[in-house]
Amino acid sequence: MNDEYTPRIVGFLCNWCSYTGADLAGVSRLKVPPSLRIIRVMCSGRIDPLFVLKAFLKGIDGVMMMGCHPGECHYQKGNYNARRRFILLQKILEAFDLEPERLGIWWVSASEATKYAKVTTEFAKEIEKIGPSPVANEIFL
Amino acid sequence: MAKESSVLIYGTNLGGYRAAYALCKKGHKVILLNRGSYVDDIRNQTLSQLPLDFCWMCGHFPQRLFKALGCVQDFYNAELLEVSGQAGDFTVKFKTKPQVVNNFICTECDECIEVCPEVVGDRKAIYVHPEIGWENIYLIDWENCTKCGKCEEVCPTDALKLERSEEVQEVKVAAIILALEYNDPTIEDLKNFSFGKSPSIVKNSEIARNSLLTNFVKDSVKLPSGKIPQNFAVVVTPHFNNHGTEYESYNLSVSAAYRGVRLKEILPESDVTIFLKDYRGFGKRHYRWYKKALDAGVHIEKVDDIKASPKNKEEVNLQYEKDGKSHEKTVEYTILINGQKSPNLMKDMSEICGVKADENGFCNIKPFSCSETDVDGIFAVGEFTGPKGNPEAIWEGCATLTESLKYLGETNFKPPAPPSLRNVDVEEKKIGVFICSCFGTFNDKMDLNDLKETVEAIPDVSHAEIIKGCCTPPSIKETAELIKKSGVNRVVLAVCTPIQKLLKFRKTVMMAGLNPLLSEFLRLREDVINVHKDKVKMLEKSLTLIKAAVAKTKKSVQNPTLKESFTPHALVIGAGLSGLTCASEIADNGFQVTLIEKNENLGGNEKYFDKQQKEYLDKLISKVKDNQNIKVYQKAELKRMSGYAGNFYGAILSEKKEIPIDVGVIVLATGAKEHKPKEFLYGEDQRVITQTELQNNLNGKKIGNQVVMIQCVGSKNDEHPYCSRVCCNQALKNALSLKETGSEVTILYRDMTNYGKENYYQKALDSGVKFIRFEDNKYPEVKKNADALEVIKSDGEKIKVDLVVLSTGIEPDEENNRNLSNLLGYPMDKDGFFDSDVNVYPYEESIKRLFKPYEWATNCIYPVGLAHSPRAFEESILTARDIAGRALILLGKKMLPAPNAMYIAEVKDALCMGCGICVDVCAYSARAIDIEKKIAVVHPFLCDSCGSCVSVCPNDASYLRDFMSNQTISTLDALLA
Repeated sequence: MNDEYTPRIVGFLCNWCSYTGADLAGVSRLKVPPSLRIIRVMCSGRIDPLFVLKAFLKGIDGVMMMGCHPGECHYQKGNYNARRRFILLQKILEAFDLEPERLGIWWVSASEATKYAKVTTEFAKEIEKIGPSPVANEIFL
Repeated sequence: MAKESSVLIYGTNLGGYRAAYALCKKGHKVILLNRGSYVDDIRNQTLSQLPLDFCWMCGHFPQRLFKALGCVQDFYNAELLEVSGQAGDFTVKFKTKPQVVNNFICTECDECIEVCPEVVGDRKAIYVHPEIGWENIYLIDWENCTKCGKCEEVCPTDALKLERSEEVQEVKVAAIILALEYNDPTIEDLKNFSFGKSPSIVKNSEIARNSLLTNFVKDSVKLPSGKIPQNFAVVVTPHFNNHGTEYESYNLSVSAAYRGVRLKEILPESDVTIFLKDYRGFGKRHYRWYKKALDAGVHIEKVDDIKASPKNKEEVNLQYEKDGKSHEKTVEYTILINGQKSPNLMKDMSEICGVKADENGFCNIKPFSCSETDVDGIFAVGEFTGPKGNPEAIWEGCATLTESLKYLGETNFKPPAPPSLRNVDVEEKKIGVFICSCFGTFNDKMDLNDLKETVEAIPDVSHAEIIKGCCTPPSIKETAELIKKSGVNRVVLAVCTPIQKLLKFRKTVMMAGLNPLLSEFLRLREDVINVHKDKVKMLEKSLTLIKAAVAKTKKSVQNPTLKESFTPHALVIGAGLSGLTCASEIADNGFQVTLIEKNENLGGNEKYFDKQQKEYLDKLISKVKDNQNIKVYQKAELKRMSGYAGNFYGAILSEKKEIPIDVGVIVLATGAKEHKPKEFLYGEDQRVITQTELQNNLNGKKIGNQVVMIQCVGSKNDEHPYCSRVCCNQALKNALSLKETGSEVTILYRDMTNYGKENYYQKALDSGVKFIRFEDNKYPEVKKNADALEVIKSDGEKIKVDLVVLSTGIEPDEENNRNLSNLLGYPMDKDGFFDSDVNVYPYEESIKRLFKPYEWATNCIYPVGLAHSPRAFEESILTARDIAGRALILLGKKMLPAPNAMYIAEVKDALCMGCGICVDVCAYSARAIDIEKKIAVVHPFLCDSCGSCVSVCPNDASYLRDFMSNQTISTLDALLA
């Protein structure tokens, strides 16, 4: 274990709202945590629970799901599907003895660059507080 | 005489932008004269007029589309000087000065800001526009600029030139569209509300603009002292200003309600009061916001007059009059919802091109036309012709296309053919990584050569290279050549912002002969350079990101872009005013139209029109009947319809015969009907009639001594929770006519929804019509006392009357609409009209959908006129011409790509077991189970590429192009390795 612990976080961002918001945050030169790595999906409804679980099995410390605000989904109802999956996934994490706080869902629209910067920074801090994922040191077969 | 084909647009209001977009799509070159110094300089005002605090980004897309289309030539700091010639052949002289920072080639590297020596407060003499978020607009504070030229030297793309000279240009165009902006009310106009005298009194547009980047949060209403106020007043100012000072566009009341609700959302404990004269929310869904505001605990005060004055530094004193009594209230924060003033350039325009002003100082429009001015070939759109809301401005933009086509020659713009793409399936996988140095500016911040060397060592990478850039035309070409030369067939571009410059990056890849599906863009600037300070960490992270992108592209597959022919034939359902207008406009431009009408006669609601309107309609009917391109079926209905945008096929039933038809576009012009009241003794006593019956009886003779009108009969109630829009104006006009014959007229009303440039309300007040307001649920009663007719007001007062006139609303033909909705899969709204946007936006249309190339929720099916929502005569014509314009753009195309040709969900036949879960989850009805094969199939023209079906598939048989599960998992593996 390194003395200097920097968490690893993956964010699944929907193409139309959150990823565009992240773009805007970049253009506006807002501060975002360096530990975040982004994966673009077309819709938050495309975030397969498999992706999230796979990430946790790989030993990730935190996963962020982001989509359009409820009712404003570019694809009409994809973010509702994501929200349902999120609740189930949190339960699964509990079953694995992982803190459910390691997974979070946020609604960030394309114009909400400041919100994007805020939630990512807060989440990174939160994960730092929770500490490294225990899975990282275990071997799954 | 050979006609010119280009069109000149002067001004940048929303209507103008819409017109430019439509004309480009139709194939005409557009010359856009922007009076400001950057794209949104002046239009920003219109954008912020709506208090939509969230996502406005899509509203900015058109400009990027213009650039991508390449058919709009835009001039900045422009001024129209001279117009000569005639319709079809104008010669226009104008003055222009290029932008100091050409934001077409600016890479937004911020180098200019870094080198600028002049510090002004918390910014430099060159700074980024604080309100425009989507792209960085660099502004120069000329007062503090010393013109040292350092920024010019450091600019990597030579986008910045401090000295630009003014020039005069001359162009030949076929038509001119005046799209000038309105004027905001001045401090003087808003003096009754003490605007500008206290930081607690602000315009709503300011709040909306300030919260563009943050959304509406507590800080948006923070006072200079840092205090968050708890006591708010929202005032709709045009209601209390004299007519002529400022004009009310139709969204102001709903803006107030919206602001109230939003305030309650962020500050639930706060006290919010909206002050207005009447709640004039007559657009689609506007009345629902009234209810919503009340439910949220917002107080709505309908007052006669209001004045605001600062009490102390942070408090505002409001004095208002209600029911003849004076009241006083102290609030901490006052939000002014202001109207629009007539454009001050109107006078200049009259001199330059001869257009005439109307009595209110707006541009005059010919009767029964949407944008034609008094001069042939010169059109006016948007706020230049009267106070406008955004949907109307957008409709006008496209309607102008319909109206101007007759003056335009052959199309003179063809989008350049896409570069031919090479088939890489036969080749061995070769991945190339191209690292952008942003014209050298990244070099100082991180060691790109080091990165390049490390990347070259990745086993899957066959080529790595540092490029100059790929966002300016020369650099795009250069990079494309480099990609070609390197011989790679999969590309990873490490760049800045992949969404903002997506089209440019894709173009780079396509120019290299590769399908964009074979490329991946990663955010080197936003995720690495701007985030990390340590060079080692920078290298580490960029390497991880590149590895992830390489892992993804390794598994990407190229797919052809799907194309389908477009049937140049339109079907119009319903032959009322809107249907007839639409059919005739489309047919006039040489396309075949099938017009079907349920009843025997054409003309729909003809009996409700006045004399001039009837004449217009009769002319229209004979025009339609004589037109060779229109096939009219009376007593006919739609029997079946299937297919998709561009290729609908089905049958109509006419005289018990089934006639098959293939169409490309469907227009729903099914109309609506008048509400027939059951209350107020209507139908029992002959002296109780509707406004329309009164209108038909008006012949200059006195009808009765005492006439009482009751408004909102069958509107704004639980059954019909919307305002029917036309009744108040109709009632006022009828009241004026009755007054002329010497009758006494009393109008009992809830909200006087008089709108438009014509102020019938004031005229009626002046002529002595009595107005009495009643509460929302306290309707008066009509009773028969022996033989006399009495109206009993809610306070018990009885009025003896000779005639009761009921202002009955418009109600949709719900059964008919529902049948069609089921047949076509087109959504309906809660009120029984056809919907136009499935999202829950507070306004009628979201800009997002309106600018979509295929437009509206279900592609190529358009509701118009009364089928969409209650409309007046002219407004029905407006929507019909708008839709005709949209249809004309599409009908002229021979082939159309699938709406989302790049990313489409597909099915692996061998893995699919036909469970049908994906069919249920698809929001676009793009999926179905093939009965013979018993597997799921996707219709590529209906699929919108969300991928919901992919994540529910239990067998992993479904996949979304470029977002396949194995791609995402490889990305994850690489990211977490």
